[in-house]
Amino acid sequence: MSKPKVATDWMAGCAGCHMSLLDMDERILQVLDLVDLRSSPITDLKEPDINGVDVGILEGGINNTANEHQAKLMRSRCKYLVALGDCAVFGGVPAMRNFFTLEETLRRAYIETESTDSEGFIPTDPELAVPTNVRAVHEVVPVDLHVPGCPPDADVIFYVLAELAQGRIPDLKGDKLHWH
Amino acid sequence: MYHLIIDDKEIEVQKGTTVLNAARLAGVEIPTLCDHPALEPYGGCRLCLVEIEGARTLQPACTLPASNNMVIHTQTKKVTDARKFVLSMLFSERNHFCPYCQVSGGDCELQNAAYDEEMTHWPLQPNWNHFEVDASHPYFILDHNRCILCRRCVRACAELVGNYTLGMEERGSKTMLTADLGVPLGSSSCVSCGVCVQICPTGALIDRWSAYRGHETDVQKTDTICVGCSLGCGIDVITRNNSLVRIDGDWDAEINGGVLCEVGRFLPMNDSRQKLVTPLIRRDGSLKAATWDEAMTAITDKLHPLLNNNRGGIAAIISTRLPIESLHLFKQIFADNFGSKMVTSTEEGYYTVGFDGAGKQIEQQNGLNAIGESDLIMTIGVDLSNDHQVAGFFVKRSIEKGTRVIPIHTEKTSMDSLTPYDTLIQKGSELNFVQALNAKLNGEPYEEKLSKSNVPVSKLEEIANLLKQAENALIIFGSEFSAKNKPEVVQAIIQLAKNNKINFINFKGKANSYAAANLGLDSKFVVNNDQVAYLTLGDEEPSQLLLQRVENAAFTIVHASYHSAVTAMADVVLPVTNWLEQDGHYISADGIVQKALVALQPSVDVRSNQDILEDLATRLQIEIDNQWLQSILQSTASAEVQPA
Repeated sequence: MSKPKVATDWMAGCAGCHMSLLDMDERILQVLDLVDLRSSPITDLKEPDINGVDVGILEGGINNTANEHQAKLMRSRCKYLVALGDCAVFGGVPAMRNFFTLEETLRRAYIETESTDSEGFIPTDPELAVPTNVRAVHEVVPVDLHVPGCPPDADVIFYVLAELAQGRIPDLKGDKLHWH
Repeated sequence: MYHLIIDDKEIEVQKGTTVLNAARLAGVEIPTLCDHPALEPYGGCRLCLVEIEGARTLQPACTLPASNNMVIHTQTKKVTDARKFVLSMLFSERNHFCPYCQVSGGDCELQNAAYDEEMTHWPLQPNWNHFEVDASHPYFILDHNRCILCRRCVRACAELVGNYTLGMEERGSKTMLTADLGVPLGSSSCVSCGVCVQICPTGALIDRWSAYRGHETDVQKTDTICVGCSLGCGIDVITRNNSLVRIDGDWDAEINGGVLCEVGRFLPMNDSRQKLVTPLIRRDGSLKAATWDEAMTAITDKLHPLLNNNRGGIAAIISTRLPIESLHLFKQIFADNFGSKMVTSTEEGYYTVGFDGAGKQIEQQNGLNAIGESDLIMTIGVDLSNDHQVAGFFVKRSIEKGTRVIPIHTEKTSMDSLTPYDTLIQKGSELNFVQALNAKLNGEPYEEKLSKSNVPVSKLEEIANLLKQAENALIIFGSEFSAKNKPEVVQAIIQLAKNNKINFINFKGKANSYAAANLGLDSKFVVNNDQVAYLTLGDEEPSQLLLQRVENAAFTIVHASYHSAVTAMADVVLPVTNWLEQDGHYISADGIVQKALVALQPSVDVRSNQDILEDLATRLQIEIDNQWLQSILQSTASAEVQPA
C-alpha cells in the first residue's frame, strides 16, 4: 500500500498550528515515514495535487474570498478534511472582529491604528480578496475531524497524523482534547 | 426509604432526595452547571437531563425528587445527545472563545462539561452579538459575553447573602444579568462580599486581583480561618510562589459555609502598607537597621532592671488579631513576671466588658447557626450591615424565610429598609429600652423607662408581642452602647434573654478579643511618662489614640509587620509575621477554638510574635509555659469555650 498523501494549508490564523506541527521534533521523521506530505505552506508545493490527496489539513478560519477558495479547493481535492486549531474549528482569535462591522474593522486596521503614520486608506484593488466575516471551516465546507487547541499540542497533532496514516479515525478526548 | 435504579445501580434514598443527589450517592456522575451544593436546586441550565423510565420527556435531575422504584438512565444516547445540544446552545449564545478567557484550561465548568461530552467543536456558531463588560466595580469585573445565565450569582446574592443586588432582566435570548434596576455594579447596592465571583462557573465574573495569576492546578490552597473579626470564618487562602493570589470562602466551613465579606475576601488583597523587613534600633535620634541579637539585647537590657521591682515600669499592649499562644506568653511575661498592672490588648475590653461571668451561668449563648434556626431575631448594639457582616448576611437571608428581624439602632442603617420592625431609639437609652422591654414582658410597669428611649408605646408592645409569639427567638448584641453603663446594658440583655428563654449571640471585636478577655487582657491602656511601652501590634494598624498614648513613653518597643506612625517613633522595632505568615489558635465569638495555619512564608529577617516572646523570656530567665488552653478554660471571665 502506498503512503497516504497529506496536504496542508493555512488561512486566517497565526501559523501557530503549523509551528506546533514542527514542535513534535524528531517525531516529524516518523510522520514522514508514514505519510507522503505533498503540499503545505512550509514546503515548496503550495496547492494540493490536482489528482487529490487522502488527508487535507486546514489551519485558520475563513475571513475573505481567497480563504473561501482555499477551503473549497482543499475540500474538493481531499478525501478526509481536518480542521486544525481553534481558528479552523471555532473562528478563534480572528473571529473577535465579528463583534464589529467589517467597515469598523477595516477602518481600525488601515486608518486608525497607532502605527499608521500617513493618512491611511482602505485598499480597494480589485485583485485583492474581499474581506468577509470570520467563519469556522465547517461553516464553509464539511469537515471530517475537528482538532481544537490554540494551538493543538504537538503530541495531539502527532497522534492525529499517526492514526490517520494508519487508517484509523483519531478519538480526541481526555488529555488530547483542549480548546485553548 | 425509596428504592431506585440508576444506570443499573440499586440504591435506597430518603424521601425528598433529588435524582441528582441520589445519583451522587450511588456514585453516578451527572454533569451540572446551574446547580451548586450551597444553593437551592434551580433547574435552569438543563445539562443534568436524564431519562426516567415511563416519563414522556427527559427530566432535570437537579430538581426532580426521586420517587419509589424509579428507573433512571444517565448515559443513553438520548441523554448524551441532549447534553451536547444544551452545551451547543450555550456556546452559540454569547462569546465563549476559550483562548482569551481567564478560566480556560481547567477552571471553567462550561469548558469542562464540553470536554466531558467529548465535544471537539460547536455544531452551532455564535451569533456575534456584542455584550458589554461592566468594569465599574472596584474588586471584580462582570463580562456579559461569558455569562451563561445560570443565575448562580443571582441565587447566591439572594439565598446566601440576602442582598438581592443581582437579578435578571428581559426574557429568552435578551436575558441579561443586572445589578439593582440596571445600574453599573460599581454604583449598585452590592456589598462587595464576592460570593458571586466565587460561585460563577465561567469567566463571566472575574476577580481583578487574581485573574490570570494561575489556574487551580498552579496554585496552593491553605484551609485556614479569617482573622478579620470575631466570627472566625473558614477561608481558603490561594497562593502561588509565596504570594497571595486570592481568598475564597471555605464551602465546608461550619461557621460561614463559604460566605465571606469584603473585609475577609478583598481587603487583604488591597493592603498597600510597607512591610518591615529588619529589626530597627534608634541611634542618634534615627532608626537604624540592626541584627536580631542587637535588638533583643537592647530590649533585654532595658527590661531586665524592671523585673520584679513591682513599680509598674512597663505598659504592655498586644493586638487581638494575634493567636492565643502569643497572648498567653505576653500575659505571662508582663503581668505574671514583671508584675505590671498595665497589661492589656488593643481593644481594651471594649467588646467584652459586662460579659464577665455571664456566659457560664446560662446555656443560651449560641453559635451562628442559631440565626438560621430562629423565627425572630432582635439585634442591638451592633450594626450587622457594617460589622460582622457575614452574620448580617445570615440575618438578611433569614428574612425571606419568614424570620422576623428587629434591628434596634440609634441611627438608621441599611438593614432597616429590609424589615418592617426596625426601631430607632435615643442614643444612650439602651438600658432604659431593654429594661422597659423586660418589664413589659414580665407584666410590670414600663412607661417611665420607655419614655427616655423615645420609642412609642405601640412599638414596644409590638416588639413584646412578637417576642412572646416567637418559638425560637434570638438576640444578637454587640458593644455599641454608651460607655457609662455598658456593663449594665449587657447584663440587662442577658437578663432579658434568661427571663424569657431567648437565645443570644454576642459579637466581640477582632479575632481574639474573646481570648484576650479570658486572659484578663481587657483593661484600659494608660502610659506614664517614665514607663517603657511594649507594643505587640503584629499586623494591626495602630490607632491615632494609641499613638497619642505612647508618644511620651520613656522608651517604646514595637512588634509590627508594617511601617506606621507608631513604628516611626519607637526606640526598637521588631519585624514580625502577618496573619498569613503565622499559625496559632483563635476563639470565635461563640467560643469555638480554631487553628489558623501558615499560608505564606515570611521574609528571612521576620520572626513570629510567639518566637520573639519566647526568646525574650529566655533572655530574661523567666519561666513560661504553653498551657494556653488550660488558662483559658480556667478563666472565669466569660462563656464556655469548646476546645477543637
